[in-house]
Amino acid sequence: MENAISKHDNYEQKELKLRSKKKSETATTIIINALIAIFALIWIIPIVWLLVTAFSKYRGIDTAHFFPAQGWTLDNFKIVLFEPDSVVQYIAWFKNTFIIALFSCIISTAFVLMVSYTFSCMRFKGRHAMMKFSIILNMFPGVLSMIAVYFVMKQLGLTNSHVGMVIVYSAGSGLGYLICKGFMDTIPTSIREAARLDGASEVEIFFKIILPLSKPIIVYTVISSFLAPWADFVFAKLMLNSGISTDWTVAIGLYNMLGKDLKSHYFSIFCAGGLLISIPISVLFILMQKYYVAGVTGGASKG
Amino acid sequence: MASNKEVHAKTFGKAFVNFFKGIANYFTDFGKAISKGDLAVKLSTVLMGAGYFARKKFVVGFLTMLLEAAFIFMCIFYAAPNLAKFGTLGDTVRSTQFDPLTMQNTVIEGDNSFLILLNSVIALFAIFVFILLWIHNIKRAYELQQDSEKGVHIATFAEDFKSLVNGRFNITLLALPTLGVILMNVIPILILIAIAFTNYDQMHMPPSALFTWVGLANFKNILSLSSGSSAFGYAFFKVLGWTLVWAFFSTFTCFLGGIVLAKLITYRKVKFPKIWRTLFVVTIAVPQFVTLLLVRYFFGDTGIVNSFCTGIGLTEFLKSIGLVANHLSYIPFLTNPGWAKFMIIMINIWVGVPYQMLIATGVLLNIPESQIESAKLDGANAWQIFWHITMPYVLFVEGPTLITDFVRNINNFNVIYLLTQDTFVTTNQTLANANAKEVDLLVTWLFRLTNDYYNYKMASVIGIIVFVICAVFSLIAFSKFLSGGREESYQ
Repeated sequence: MENAISKHDNYEQKELKLRSKKKSETATTIIINALIAIFALIWIIPIVWLLVTAFSKYRGIDTAHFFPAQGWTLDNFKIVLFEPDSVVQYIAWFKNTFIIALFSCIISTAFVLMVSYTFSCMRFKGRHAMMKFSIILNMFPGVLSMIAVYFVMKQLGLTNSHVGMVIVYSAGSGLGYLICKGFMDTIPTSIREAARLDGASEVEIFFKIILPLSKPIIVYTVISSFLAPWADFVFAKLMLNSGISTDWTVAIGLYNMLGKDLKSHYFSIFCAGGLLISIPISVLFILMQKYYVAGVTGGASKG
Repeated sequence: MASNKEVHAKTFGKAFVNFFKGIANYFTDFGKAISKGDLAVKLSTVLMGAGYFARKKFVVGFLTMLLEAAFIFMCIFYAAPNLAKFGTLGDTVRSTQFDPLTMQNTVIEGDNSFLILLNSVIALFAIFVFILLWIHNIKRAYELQQDSEKGVHIATFAEDFKSLVNGRFNITLLALPTLGVILMNVIPILILIAIAFTNYDQMHMPPSALFTWVGLANFKNILSLSSGSSAFGYAFFKVLGWTLVWAFFSTFTCFLGGIVLAKLITYRKVKFPKIWRTLFVVTIAVPQFVTLLLVRYFFGDTGIVNSFCTGIGLTEFLKSIGLVANHLSYIPFLTNPGWAKFMIIMINIWVGVPYQMLIATGVLLNIPESQIESAKLDGANAWQIFWHITMPYVLFVEGPTLITDFVRNINNFNVIYLLTQDTFVTTNQTLANANAKEVDLLVTWLFRLTNDYYNYKMASVIGIIVFVICAVFSLIAFSKFLSGGREESYQ
């Protein structure tokens, strides 16, 4: 990415030689820099509000002051982390969310890689039919069939259970193979054929050749399949409806804190909890930005 | 993505014809196997596995027979009792009877319509799968017969087993994902479709009450335009209208915003582009259930933005030009239908643009430089280059994603639900009768119908309609953007 940016710079310098309109240049530069600063301000204000409210002594929603007027404190974090009560069970939620997201991520990634390899690298009867069928099936948004999913899980006795949540998040993940398959399609067939001539079996080609070469797309799949359950709200709300707060995920717990009677006592604690769950994702996101963009655009550009 | 090109490249008419040709071939092969097969093959139709025994494949033969036995067992004890009641979905209501011995009322369990429906759907699906396996078994027996006539070596069980990690590795790889898709996608969708044709709602809740088939009544109810007869018909078209408006604006504002922001940040004279980009990316990293709930109170009727606007006199100004009703002392950002729709789209720009910016940055870096160079030599200015070279390229690359985003926005549950649930109250009585609100998307309406009002029949109808809408858009997109010959434009 860096390299590409400098390339971009290079050609724009050439352009500079072509026409020298220094004066309007300076004006444009000022305007563009100012625009970015204004946009950045707009985008960051809610985040700053989240940050400062998390440190506020005032527990409810302060409608008059942006920065806490009653002083700063670390109490909100202390309550979130060390003093669970009937409403706040943050550590339990965090643990639930993490376990659900981790197992969903492992299963989803495995499924996506298995399906992608099969469709990309193997040729068998019914391959096209299966690919078409899964594309059509994937058009059906999961949110719509959630009532039926809920009933199926209820019959299996898996509502209000974390195993059920993992199944809900990961069972259908094989359908989301398109981006990953697109990547595997770019790996030259000659590599696989050479391996086959050397007597390698399919399972060896899968583990020893294709998987190591697919590292960028694996990273992308892992991130996106971890973040989906981590940040999901709707399925958790539907499935974990027992009212036992220790069973909840962070999303449900935080949402509950803003109920009609609770929000005047728990708003700043909500902010502290929201901040804490954002930190790991922010770090992950900033570190993995490169892979993430490559995944999204890679899938797009190859159609 | 060669094979995907193959999938999409064909026009859908062609794909349709091929589909039926495929089915025709499938049954022709089957007919051939039965008519030309020897005794073992013919025996396979009744006693599955006979064909395997005839070719000395005893383990596979035994397993196949075991499968048949299990299937018959399933039919007798699971499928038959449920399917017998499938036509009516049960007729005995749960009742209580006074027991003179214990001096108490005892509950006599009746039929549970939902369980009958669920089990019947599963049973029908199992029968369908079994029929496919049965056909496969006969075809395979015929293949084995041909092989042995030609003197080809017939694989032993050990060899068959080994091929699961080699020649037939696809079966091993696809088994679990397929099972998951059946459990989580296929069966629920079949149940959803079935429920749309029943009267399953709060008045007909198993196990205390029965529900039954009502044909197309629910569809008629929702598609009838006269608002007098049905609140649902009125609400449906209103909600559908806003869903499409929302999907259009949210997709295009974020798309354009992303490109503009990416362009601004990559402008050569901008200092620290990486830091700016990271600043925007941080807003993606905070989960939506945090930011959206936060913003909801930020723009609340007594929220901080309203205090600020009153402070600087903006509220009074908006009142004077008629944008805020006179009896209000605040700006109804998320409580007035018009304002709420505007704010939802604005807030969605806030949510969506950084993500689009990331994608656009990646795409913009790959624009073929030669085209821009030659345009410059021809004297094109920056604006012309943007519209005639950059935009066509970005549209080419992001076109398919754009349609996917559009479909995803039709189903964008989070933004609407988290911003308006609990705070937005509708004053439109007809909408309220159908449990809908002005700001609802079809999905949030569906969610409320099921989660709060147990109106499963209407929710299922809405689900099917949304699916049809999404499928139409996706199909148009796939055939338009991924039709043959287009891929080479930029190669």
